[in-house]
Amino acid sequence: MSLQIELNGVNKFYGAFHALKDIHLAIEEGTFVALVGPSGCGKSTLLRSLAGLEKISTGEMKIAGALMNNVPPRKRDVAMVFQSYALYPHMTVEENLTYSLRIRGVKKAEARKAAEEVAATTGLSHLMKRYPRELSGGQRQRVAMSRAIIRHPKAFLFDEPLSNLDAALRVHMRKEIRALHDRLNATSVYVTHDQIEAMTMADHVVVMRDGIIEQQGRPLDLYDRPANKFVAGFIGSPAMNFIPAIVAEDGAHIVLDFGKTEAKLAIGSRLSPGTSLTAGIRPEHIKIVAEGQGAFDVPVGIVESTGSATFITSATQPELTIVETGRGGAKSGDIIGLAIDLAQLHLFDTATGRRIEPQSGRVGIEPPRHLHLAGHAN
Amino acid sequence: MKRILSSVTDGKGFDIGLVVLPLGFLFVMSGLPLVYNVVMSFQEVDMFSLGSFVRPFVGFRNYVDLFSQPETRPILFNTALFVVASIAGQFAIGFGLALFFWTNFPGASWLRGLFLVSWVMPGLVVGAIWNWILSGDFGVLNFLLRETGVIDGNIFWRSDPNYSLWAVIIANIWLGTSFNMILLSVGLSGIPKDLYEAAELDGANALQRFWTITLPMMRSTIGAIIALGLIFTLQQFDLFAGITSGGPNNSSNVTQYWAWDLSFRQYDFAKGATISVIMIVFVMLASVVYVRSTRHEVRG
Repeated sequence: MSLQIELNGVNKFYGAFHALKDIHLAIEEGTFVALVGPSGCGKSTLLRSLAGLEKISTGEMKIAGALMNNVPPRKRDVAMVFQSYALYPHMTVEENLTYSLRIRGVKKAEARKAAEEVAATTGLSHLMKRYPRELSGGQRQRVAMSRAIIRHPKAFLFDEPLSNLDAALRVHMRKEIRALHDRLNATSVYVTHDQIEAMTMADHVVVMRDGIIEQQGRPLDLYDRPANKFVAGFIGSPAMNFIPAIVAEDGAHIVLDFGKTEAKLAIGSRLSPGTSLTAGIRPEHIKIVAEGQGAFDVPVGIVESTGSATFITSATQPELTIVETGRGGAKSGDIIGLAIDLAQLHLFDTATGRRIEPQSGRVGIEPPRHLHLAGHAN
Repeated sequence: MKRILSSVTDGKGFDIGLVVLPLGFLFVMSGLPLVYNVVMSFQEVDMFSLGSFVRPFVGFRNYVDLFSQPETRPILFNTALFVVASIAGQFAIGFGLALFFWTNFPGASWLRGLFLVSWVMPGLVVGAIWNWILSGDFGVLNFLLRETGVIDGNIFWRSDPNYSLWAVIIANIWLGTSFNMILLSVGLSGIPKDLYEAAELDGANALQRFWTITLPMMRSTIGAIIALGLIFTLQQFDLFAGITSGGPNNSSNVTQYWAWDLSFRQYDFAKGATISVIMIVFVMLASVVYVRSTRHEVRG
């Protein structure tokens, strides 16, 4: 496996605004990479830089081993699927598909044949003579993808391609895009603000914020071992609970601060006493037990049920969200005990937000797994 | 009565009112004169029968007479040349400027606004200014051409039959270019930027993008502009009155000026009306093109 895309110390400035800050990224051939982050984090800028639509200010950008810094978009041999699809409105589906071939001077019959082959795989064969305005959102999406596929590019770039579709279609297209990627053995870079899309589709997830890569790695690694509080809160739904805490005198417990009340929790490792930190627990990693049986007790605030799962919000400050599969018996006003799996407890430095690794993997905390070789945690 | 009043406030009557009022206005102010003009072209009209509507019917005699006059053909040819050259010049320069300002360099919108000055100027004023510019003895155009070595002696733009029509065409191009530019600028800004990005990634260079994206996406705008240009140039009267008055010896005369000249200077109202009817046909064709091209706009 060779590296298909390489970014070394890439920076991008818009005047005084620093949009991309020292980006390092190495993407192997055949990898599906998701760039994810809140709006304005630089993920689209990064993608457009890969396409050549934005010029990077400093650093090195390579595609298939060749330096791309000053190569214009049309010579980069990458295909992009736009959020708006950017279909040519004055051309039929077939003309849209064959555009890149015609520009390259491919013979008409040959281009037509290629278009028919691609259309057959994406289910567009019966729509070849239609104009984009006569297509539904999902069909336009397929045309946009087919237009990229027909070129056999070095890399596929997706710029939030599903954000204009309704929820049901989005879930369906998610699988379709991933299946397509596998079938073509393509290299794909996929920008999204939806962490679920990133988690479900990608081999390698890059979480960005304010022009910085906060963390990158395999999806489940990000979920299991978020490098900082931002990634911990961004990945996973419903979001992780954060509770301010202080390491107790003995160094083996932390005291969770619920404002009026406190709760003591063993951390199964040793930290220097008095350290102020933030404890993070995912809602799905808290188990409800009888009062007094768990690590600590909380009063129940709101109970919401979706049928398959029950969301319980505690009447504490800060609130704790607990997800229980099935229909729990807890009612508002009850006092419940909470059991917490120490292996699933995350500790973050309050000041820097960084993950605090407990000293040596002792009770219940698994040793750090090696992250995907293509990246390293920040 | 009450029901009619309430329907006006309720909706349906109001809708009808909105349609009827402008239609009535158009009929009285444009429709009737148009019909009257057509009727006149089939009648014998002189100074004394001008006041009455009932005049001797002469069939197509006015038309036959008109086409047997020796100056008719040259004037029709002049009109065609004036229309084609004016539109070509206005469109080519206007499109060039629109593309130039589209690059959006600093100050582009400000400078583009400045270009509109020529559009807001009255035709007679433009004519007076171009009179000076085109003047044979002291005109600045002759000076420029002489100094750059294009010509050896002065050209008497307005009095030389070989140049008189071109004198008006040059002024008309100057007058209409900015209007073309503004409409084309609007059309250009209506093309989504991501189409160009997609085309760029698909491998198209700047020239290919212009031919495959810009031009086809501008088709309706271009159709509308050519149609409007045809209507405006066929209407262009002030410049002829201001620069050459159709002379010398009809060398720069065109139908719209000739119609006025026949009707109101020679009092041959029937002939004037006849020429107008011929022009109506062309303007009608242009307006059909205009309506069609604005209706079939390409939308994404």
